[in-house]
This record gives sequence, structure tokens and C-alpha cells, in this order.
Amino acid sequence: MIQLLHTEWLKLRKYPAFWWLMGITFLSYPGMNGLMYAIYKGITSDKQQEGKIVSMLLGQPFAFPEVFRTVAYASSLFVFIPAILMLMQISNEFTYKTHRQNIIDGWSRRQFMTAKLMGVLLVSFVVFFVYLAVVLAIGYINTEVVQPNAWKLSYYAGLFGLQVFSQLSLAFLLGLILRRAFIALGVFIFYMLILENMLVGLMKWKANDSGRFLFLEVSDRLTPAPAFFGQLDEVAYKHSLDLVNEHVWLTILYTIVFWVAAFRIYEKRDL
Amino acid sequence: MLILNVNELEKSYGSVRALKGVSFTVPEGSVYGILGPNGSGKTTLLSILLNVLSADKGSFEWFGNSPDHHHRKQIGALLETPNFYHYLSAEDNLRITHSISGRGSKEEIDQALQKVNLHTFRTKKFSSFSLGMKQRLAIAAALLGRPRVLVFDEPTNGLDPVGIAEIRELIIELSRKGHTVIMASHLLDEVEKVCTHVAILKLGQLMVSGPVHDVLVQEDVVELSASDNAALNKVAADFPGINNLVSSEHFVQLYFPKGEADLSRINQYFFEKGIILSHLILKRKRLEEKFFELTGNS
Repeated sequence: MIQLLHTEWLKLRKYPAFWWLMGITFLSYPGMNGLMYAIYKGITSDKQQEGKIVSMLLGQPFAFPEVFRTVAYASSLFVFIPAILMLMQISNEFTYKTHRQNIIDGWSRRQFMTAKLMGVLLVSFVVFFVYLAVVLAIGYINTEVVQPNAWKLSYYAGLFGLQVFSQLSLAFLLGLILRRAFIALGVFIFYMLILENMLVGLMKWKANDSGRFLFLEVSDRLTPAPAFFGQLDEVAYKHSLDLVNEHVWLTILYTIVFWVAAFRIYEKRDL
Repeated sequence: MLILNVNELEKSYGSVRALKGVSFTVPEGSVYGILGPNGSGKTTLLSILLNVLSADKGSFEWFGNSPDHHHRKQIGALLETPNFYHYLSAEDNLRITHSISGRGSKEEIDQALQKVNLHTFRTKKFSSFSLGMKQRLAIAAALLGRPRVLVFDEPTNGLDPVGIAEIRELIIELSRKGHTVIMASHLLDEVEKVCTHVAILKLGQLMVSGPVHDVLVQEDVVELSASDNAALNKVAADFPGINNLVSSEHFVQLYFPKGEADLSRINQYFFEKGIILSHLILKRKRLEEKFFELTGNS
């Protein structure tokens, strides 16, 4: 296992796309959350009557414990950045036929896939720790007195981690199936930004919200919007919170299916 | 001991049968050439042996055992094109080879790069290499840690004449040190110079295989000439025990069953018939002739 991870690290450590995309992740997560926090502070620090009303409506989304959920929601919008990295990394193995050489040099096909699984886990952990650092930084800055219930929503860290791993796994599977970097990238971005959102909206309206079972939506539902959205439609918001537990199991199931499919495909097909 | 035992391998791509029941064995210490025109199945065969493709039927054994990935760690291989991480240097790419195969060490990475004259360029990115340099890096990766067996698919691709000669010397040197080399090549002259064994494929079918000496010498060919070749031709037609006679402007060739040409008896026969031979040699069929004869190409 260590040897597999070590080899994967040898491939990644001088891969420019790895550093570029991780750099964008390191900047975008604190950047996006920081921007939202700045807007929130701008509105709520207004001493006028309107500022006080907005402050009452929004509550404390950037203070403990709500900050765990708020940052998870905002960060989930940027999971596509490390997902692109995973997709490019596997499709480059096909473009340059380096995966074949790994097998020729003595890895079994299962070892190759295990190394890739560890690579996806490694990147998921890095993203998770960036999220955690942002939560702690914003949470401590914005919480005057850390109450005993400060960690009540810390399970959102786990939910965000699971969401990242699941969506990175899907991107990896797509790269493995399509093999060509640009085709895989185009399909992934089209599906993620356009097709799935359209289908989710359409199915919410026409098919009893069955769009929540789509590949990315299933894990998107792990990180519901911050609590102040509940002010808009309390019943719908409560329903989204109630579904989180079910989506944990669905996400785990989907992720297992992604990896079983990935291992099967790679073990069976000609390289 | 047998290094490789291939038994009735078959592989199809849709309706195209790339391998049709190929069987042969590779003894330890041999330099085994696999020849065949384009599309004959050479690369398909090597790809199956290296687990890049799976066979539809048949089996093979490395080192007397069913193949698994541990066996491939003892095999240095270059299949089709050099496959390396384009953003990594020569040295970093060999570190990955080392990390996967367990072959070699940091010092041996340096030695392998020196062996193929790439040590000066060890920190340069693979993407900046010329075709010849890429090919030499692939050979360095195959040589890393001095594996028992080397598999080369067209090892001289992209190399200049000096590079080709160096690879030829390298293969001879490896053979002398007891390594087994399996190589597919188009360059018949190269194969004839370095190989101890040969297999010839045509459209996925094995036409012949075995030691080069046995494959090439199926018949004894004796070439003769005299001052009067017309008279020579007439007398030669009655020579007892020949399979065939071929006449040209300058020579007459007599074909005998393998091992039955006796030059002194032939000389005496013509002398007694009043013909003084000015030219009498036992010819070995060249690999090129044999190849064209078996594959039907010209």
C-alpha cells in the first residue's frame, strides 16, 4: 500500500496540473467563503434598522456551529476543481499510455486501480483539510464566545468529505471510461453544470423530485444550504435536512458502485 | 530451462484473427527474434505476454509458472512506443520504473542512463526528447536492475545507424551475460546478426520457429561454376540425390537434403566428367530469403 501511494506521489509531485488545480482549490475555497463572509459582515454591521432586520433573518451563519454547514455548502460549489484534476490525471495515463507501462513494469491491474483509489483519497483529504481550515478560521474569527454546542454541526465536515470523495470518484470513472482528456472534460462539465441541473429541476417539477438520485445530486444533498434559507420555505428546508441521512447511505452506495465499476472495467478490458 | 512457453495463443479483434494458435518455447539465455510483416501479430503476441492484452484462447508460462505480475518485475520490456510521463525528467521516470518493478537502485538508474548515453540529459523533461532519445530511455528502463529477461518490440525504431549498432552490441553483450532477450523486429539483417532463435509469423500464424541454424538450413545449397557453364548445367542435372537445380548466367545451384551435400564428392564427380570447377561453395540460406519464402512477400 505504501509503495503504491509512494509511486502515485512520484507521478503527482511534479505534475503541473496538480499544483495549478490544487493552488486554485487553496485559493478558491477560502476566497469564496471569505467573500460570502465579507458580504454578510457588510450587511449585518449596518447599524441602521435594515441591517438589524437582515441580521435577525440570517442569524449567525459564520459562527460556530452553523459555520460547518455554511462553509460546506459554499465549498461544495467548487468540488469540480479537484474533480477536473482527477479526470485529467487518469485520462493522461491513457493519452501517454503510461498506465500500460505500469502494468508491463510489474503492477497487477488491481494494484494500478488501488494506487488510483489512493490518489483520489489523498486529494479528497487535502480538499477536506482546506475546508476544515476555512471553517476553523472563519468560525473563530466570527464567534465571540465559543459555546459548548460549537461542535454540534461538525458532522458536516464528514458529510462534505464524503461528498468530495464521491464526486471525485465519479470524475475518475468518467476519465477511465472515456480515456480522452478533452472529451471527458467536456462531458463532465456539460453534465455537471448544465444537464444534471436541468434534469434535477425538471424532475423536481414532473417526477416527484427523483432527480435527487442522479450521480452528483445524490451527494450534493449532503450539504444543504445554510439555515437562513429555512426562512424562505421552512417545510422544504426541513425536508432537505431530513433527507441527509438517506443520502449518506445513497452516496456511499453510489461511490462503491463507481469503484466496483472502475476496477471491473480496468481488469477486463484490453489496454 | 524454459523462460517462456507459449501454447496455442489465439486473439481476434472483431472479425480479424490476429493470432491463430501460436505455440513456441524460449530457452534460457537465448536471443529470440520474432519476425513478420506488418499485421502479422508480433506486437499482439508480445502485448499478451506482458498482460496488456488478454488472449481469447491458449496459455503461456513465464519461468515455468502461470503468469502473474511478480514475473513481469523480472522482465524489462519496451512495447511499441516509449511510454513515459511527459512532464517528468528521464531520471524521475526511471524512479517510477524502479518504484513499480523494484528493479535497480539510485546508482543503477545513473548506470542505466550512462549505458544509453542519456546521463547528460537525465534532468531534462521527457517531452523535450527526440524520438531516438525517447527510444534510448525506454531501453534504459528495460535494462534497469539487470532483469533476467528483456522483451524488445522494434528496439531500433528511431535510432540512427550508430544507435542501431550500439543496440546490436548491447543485445550481444546481454546474451553473453546470460540474459534472455526476446525481440520483435523488421530488420532481418539485425536479427540474423544477433539472434540464436527465431520465429516467423504471417497473418497471425506461426510459419516456423526454432534455432536460427535449423530454421535457415532446411536444405544444403551448393553453388558451382566452371569455364563452360552450359556443359556444367547438363552434367549437373544428372547428379544423384539432388532435390532441385537452379541455373543462372554465372552459377549453377544444386539443392540437397539437409546435411547431405559433400563438397569433395561433388568436386570429384564433375572432375571425372571432365569439368573443372572454378567455384564451389556450400551456401547458407539468408534469413531474408527464408522470410520472403515463408511470408510470400517480395
